[in-house]
Amino acid sequence: MTAPRLILAHTRLMLLDLLRSPAYLIPTIFFPTMFFLIFAVPNARQPARADFVTLSFVAFAIIGVTLFQFGVGIAAERGRPWERYLRTLPAGAAVRFAARIACALAFGLCAAALVAITARLTTPMDFGPAQWMRLGLYAVAGAIPFVLFGIAIGYWVSARAALPIANIFYLLLSFAGGLWMPPRFLPGIAATISPYLPTRQFGELLWSIVGAGDATRALPALAVYSIVFAILAAIGYRRDERTRYA
Amino acid sequence: MSYLRLDGVAKRYGSVDALRDATFSIDAGEIVAVLGPNGAGKTTALEIALGLRAADAGTATLFGGSPKDLAMRRRLGATPQQSGFPDALRPREIAQAVAAHYPHPADVDETLAAFGLDVLAHRRTGELSGGEQRRLALALAFVGAPDLVVLDEPTTGLDVESRRALWDRIRALSGGERAVLFTTHYLEEAEASATRVVVIDGGEVRFDGTPASLRERFGVRRVSYTGPDGPVAVATGDTDDYVRALVRSGVAFSELRIATTSLEDAFVTLTGSPR
Repeated sequence: MTAPRLILAHTRLMLLDLLRSPAYLIPTIFFPTMFFLIFAVPNARQPARADFVTLSFVAFAIIGVTLFQFGVGIAAERGRPWERYLRTLPAGAAVRFAARIACALAFGLCAAALVAITARLTTPMDFGPAQWMRLGLYAVAGAIPFVLFGIAIGYWVSARAALPIANIFYLLLSFAGGLWMPPRFLPGIAATISPYLPTRQFGELLWSIVGAGDATRALPALAVYSIVFAILAAIGYRRDERTRYA
Repeated sequence: MSYLRLDGVAKRYGSVDALRDATFSIDAGEIVAVLGPNGAGKTTALEIALGLRAADAGTATLFGGSPKDLAMRRRLGATPQQSGFPDALRPREIAQAVAAHYPHPADVDETLAAFGLDVLAHRRTGELSGGEQRRLALALAFVGAPDLVVLDEPTTGLDVESRRALWDRIRALSGGERAVLFTTHYLEEAEASATRVVVIDGGEVRFDGTPASLRERFGVRRVSYTGPDGPVAVATGDTDDYVRALVRSGVAFSELRIATTSLEDAFVTLTGSPR
């Protein structure tokens, strides 16, 4: 009945539903690691290079989970009778959102941990305890604008369009943000827009752990993105509520 | 204070008036049936009462407060309109999560058993039949042990056994402080189980009273016979007059019957449409 208990109840339902859906689970949890094994491991022979590329793929993993869990998830579910029923229960919209965020963080951190563990086993990357701690903190902080971005997609885009659109953003933004190759190797246009992308700023935040990025610039940039996406998400949510429940 | 009250509620969708001026209420201990043909405004009235939609005009109150107020909704249990449960979840998991929303919920396993779901409690909802999903939907309305249970067409898709279980459940709840509001197409159900009937048609409340008073007020008799062109059935207020006219007309007829009035007949008179 109290909010934390309700959030727990909703989180449990969502987690159970997702854990039993291999079509969701396998791509979101294992794809980043698969990409890492294919594209990153062969080029990560020196420790510094391995550290850098591991951090890039941690960001890539978290962005994937947030965009799919929120963007595709919300777009698919918001019109369903089940969502309508949940609205008749004595729980505010905040409870449902909190549960969704908890789920996304749980899956995002799993996907990221899988990348990090794979990196530890297959590359010469090596972090000290303080670096692991910062990685955990930054991973959660950097996820926030993408959670909001995902919510915005979920409420602005139809269920059918959500998957391709989330995929385009996921792949293009990851590429142009320099998460697949160091930003200095990016081709023309991608290199020009890269510094303005949230993916690049997430990368910079994580790379700062090994002294290869600028956290003091990345954090405010991600905060600005968070505000923009929060506004878009709020407008999208209201718009959906007006059409569906006015 | 009424558990639920709609007062002069109007709701428009584009150019269609779903509700014009709906006023009715439900109090402690009542079992109220909301009757009406499809598109009459029943579902809209329920959606406004459940806080899913806002009224254009008039007021809706739940336990004296707003239907959107969580404190009021903690005393309300409703069924999912369609049974679109997340496939991978199990009935027991869903029922537990729903029960967690209420201050003094019923026993989850006991509630599932009451709707014949105890043997299915650990199956995935995606594997349940339509009727089984429907029973789960009903169990969810009761699992929080709320003061007011709102059921939108509760018996649609249920077999005889499940219907009986549902009415047993509803009757077991009534008599105390609890109240049940349900919509239905089945007039017999309203007649057998409701303490009060509210008839909605064309967005307006056309009748509000006991099943007996509905019959009295709109009492009609049905005259039926086999004429030259086959069976004829006519609903009329004055059967004596009708029969006199029929005899005088010289039409050949046989098997003349005058049936006693039923709620269904009253309903036809009231709304001008069967069901």
